[in-house]
Amino acid sequence: MSTHLSSKTPEVRAPGLLPRLARVEGLPIILVFVILVVFFMIAAPQVFLGWPIYLSFLTTVPPMLVLAIGLTLVVAAGEIDLSFPSTLAFAGYLFSVCETQLGSPWLGLVAALAGGALIGLVNGTLVAVVGVPSIIVTIGTQFFWAGAASILSGGQSDALQELDGTAIYNIFAGNLFGVLPMQALWALAIAVFMWFILNRHRFGEHVLFIGDSRTVARVAGVNVVLETIKLFTLMGVLGGFAAVLLTIENLNYFSTQGQGYLLPALAGVFIGGTSVFGGTATIVGTFFGTFIIGMLEAGVVATGIAGFWVQAIEGIVFVAAVVLHLVVESPAKLRALSGIVGLRREQ
Amino acid sequence: MTKTKLLATAGLLALGWTAAAQATQPTTSGPLGAGMTMYMQMGGNPGDGATLARQTGAADAAHAFGIKVIEQFSAWNPETMLDQFRQAMAARPTCIGITGHPGDAAFDPLIAQAEKEGTLVTVGNTPLPVAEATYGAKGTGYAGVDLYIGGEITAQAMLAAGLKSGDEALEYGVFNETTRSQSDRGLRDTLVKAGVKVTELNISPQVDSDSSLAVPILVAFLESHPHLKGIGTQHGGVTGFIPQALRQVGKQPGQIIVGGIDLAPSTIAGLQQKYITATLDQQLYLQGFLPVTQCVLSARYHFAGLNINTGAGVETPSTIDSLIPLIKRGIR
Repeated sequence: MSTHLSSKTPEVRAPGLLPRLARVEGLPIILVFVILVVFFMIAAPQVFLGWPIYLSFLTTVPPMLVLAIGLTLVVAAGEIDLSFPSTLAFAGYLFSVCETQLGSPWLGLVAALAGGALIGLVNGTLVAVVGVPSIIVTIGTQFFWAGAASILSGGQSDALQELDGTAIYNIFAGNLFGVLPMQALWALAIAVFMWFILNRHRFGEHVLFIGDSRTVARVAGVNVVLETIKLFTLMGVLGGFAAVLLTIENLNYFSTQGQGYLLPALAGVFIGGTSVFGGTATIVGTFFGTFIIGMLEAGVVATGIAGFWVQAIEGIVFVAAVVLHLVVESPAKLRALSGIVGLRREQ
Repeated sequence: MTKTKLLATAGLLALGWTAAAQATQPTTSGPLGAGMTMYMQMGGNPGDGATLARQTGAADAAHAFGIKVIEQFSAWNPETMLDQFRQAMAARPTCIGITGHPGDAAFDPLIAQAEKEGTLVTVGNTPLPVAEATYGAKGTGYAGVDLYIGGEITAQAMLAAGLKSGDEALEYGVFNETTRSQSDRGLRDTLVKAGVKVTELNISPQVDSDSSLAVPILVAFLESHPHLKGIGTQHGGVTGFIPQALRQVGKQPGQIIVGGIDLAPSTIAGLQQKYITATLDQQLYLQGFLPVTQCVLSARYHFAGLNINTGAGVETPSTIDSLIPLIKRGIR
C-alpha cells in the first residue's frame, strides 16, 4: 500500500475488487506497465519478444530511476528539486576529471558522491534554514551547477573509453552472467533500500509527516530543519551516483549530460502515484512509472509508427496511463471528478 | 677593402633600402578590429562536440584582429537565438553573428532594426537566404555548410560504402524545423533517389537535449527492422550514441552503414571502432573564424558579405586518426 499520512480526505471504502487491489502498493501502475508491455508484445513481437530491447531499457533507465527514487522522497516531503540534471553534469565532471587527470575512477566515484552531497546540502540549507521555497532555490542552483560544470570542464566532453572492461566498469555497467546489466541491479538495490527507508525507518516517517504538515510535524517533535537538509543531501548523493552510472555506461562525459532527464524523471514520480502535494509516496509506483516513461518512445517506435506521430501517441498513452491509474487507485477521486464535470448527472 | 667590394656593398645596401621602402605598409597601426565588439551566437552549449571548434575559431579570430567577441549559447533553441539577438542589439555592438535556425521570417524584422541602428549582421551554421540577399552588400555573409548539400554528402558516403537500391535505411533526424531540417531532408532525398527505402523518425526534444536517451529508441527500431542496412542522422549528439545501440542488438562493426555528423568524442570512438561509416565534417572552426573576419572587414572597409561553404566532406575510419590531435585542441 502506498504510504499515506494525510487525514485531510477520509478514505471511501467501497466493497469490491478494485479497492482491495488498491491496497497493494503500486499495483495500478504495475497493471499499466504490464498492459503496455503486453500491448507492445502484440504490436511489435519482433522487438518485445526478444531480449535486446529489455537489455537496452535496463542499461538506459537506471540513472533516471535512481534520480526518480530520490525525487520521490523530496516530493513526499512537499518539496521539489529541479537541480538534479545539473548534479548529473557536475558530479559527472568530478568523476571524469579524476579518471582523466588522476587516473583514479574510484576517487572519481567518491568525488561524484561528495559533489552531489554538496549540491544537496546547499539546496537543503537554503530551503530549511533560509526559508527559500525549494522550487526557487533549485531553479537557481540548477543554473549555477550547470554553469560550474561548464566552467570547470571548459565545456569540453571527455572520452572515457579506457574504462571499458575495468573493474569499475564491470561493477557499475558490466553484465552479470552476460545478460543482466549491473546498473539495473544497483538501481533495484537502491529502490529496495529506499523503500525500507521510506516505509520502515524513522527518517521516512518524518519525511511523510513533514509533507503532510510541516507545522504539525514540528509540534510533534520532528526536527524539520535537520530532516529537510538530510533529505536534499540524500537527493544530491543519489544524483551523484546516477551521474557515475550514466558516465560509465556512456564511456563519455558530456558537460550537458542530464539536461534531457528533468521532465521524464518528474513524470516517472507523478504517474507512479506520489502526490504532488506531499505526504504520500510510493517507491514501487516510481519504479514502474519510470520504466513506463523510459520505454514509451521506444515502444511506440517499435510498433512501426514513425515520424511526427510518435510524440502524439506518447501523449495519449501517458494520459491514459494516468487515468487508468486513477481509476484503480482512487475510485473515490474519480467519482468526485465525474461529479465536477457533470458526468454523474448523466448516469 | 677594395674599391670593387665597397661598390658592391653600397649597391646591396641601396637595394635593401629600396626594397624596404617599397614593402606594402599595413593600413592601420594597430589590430584591424581594435575597438570593435561582436556578439556571436555559438549554437549549442559551451564546449559540446558541435560547438567547441566554432568557439575556438572565433577566439582565434578575435585574437588575430583585436576585436572583442562575446559568446552566446542557445542549446540550439530558436527562441533563445531570437532573444539573444535582442539582447545583443541592446548593447549596440559593431556586429552580431547569428545562427539561422529560426529562419528568415523570424529574423528579418530584427535584422532590419539592427541594420537601421548601424549594427552589421552576419550568419553562420544555418543560412538565411533572404537576409543575405537583402543585406549582403552591407556585409551580411554566410559561413557554414549548405545544409541540404551536407545531407547529400553524408548520404553519398553511405551509398559509396555499400548502401544500395532496395536496402532499408532509417533517417533519424529533426524534421520539424524549417531550416535545420534541410540537412536531414538532403540525406533522406539522396537515399530515396538512389532507391533506398527510407523510414523517417523524428528526434524528440528530450533526445535533442540529451542524446543518450536515443539508445533504446534505436534499439527498438533496429529490432523491429531486422533487414535494416543503414542509419543516417544529421544530429551530432545522436551520431555518437548509434554505436552503443548497435552493440546492444549484437551488430558487428560495418554490418550497418552509419552516416552521421560532427566529431564528438563518442563519434570519434565510433569511427575508430568502425561502427560509424562516415561523419560530415563541417569544419566548425571556420564557422567561428570566418564570421569574425567578415565583421571586421565589413565594418572597417565595407566589404560585402561572403558566402563560404565550410563543409568539405566526410571523415571515415581511415581518415580520423590524423585529425585526433587537432580535435583534442578544439580545432577540428
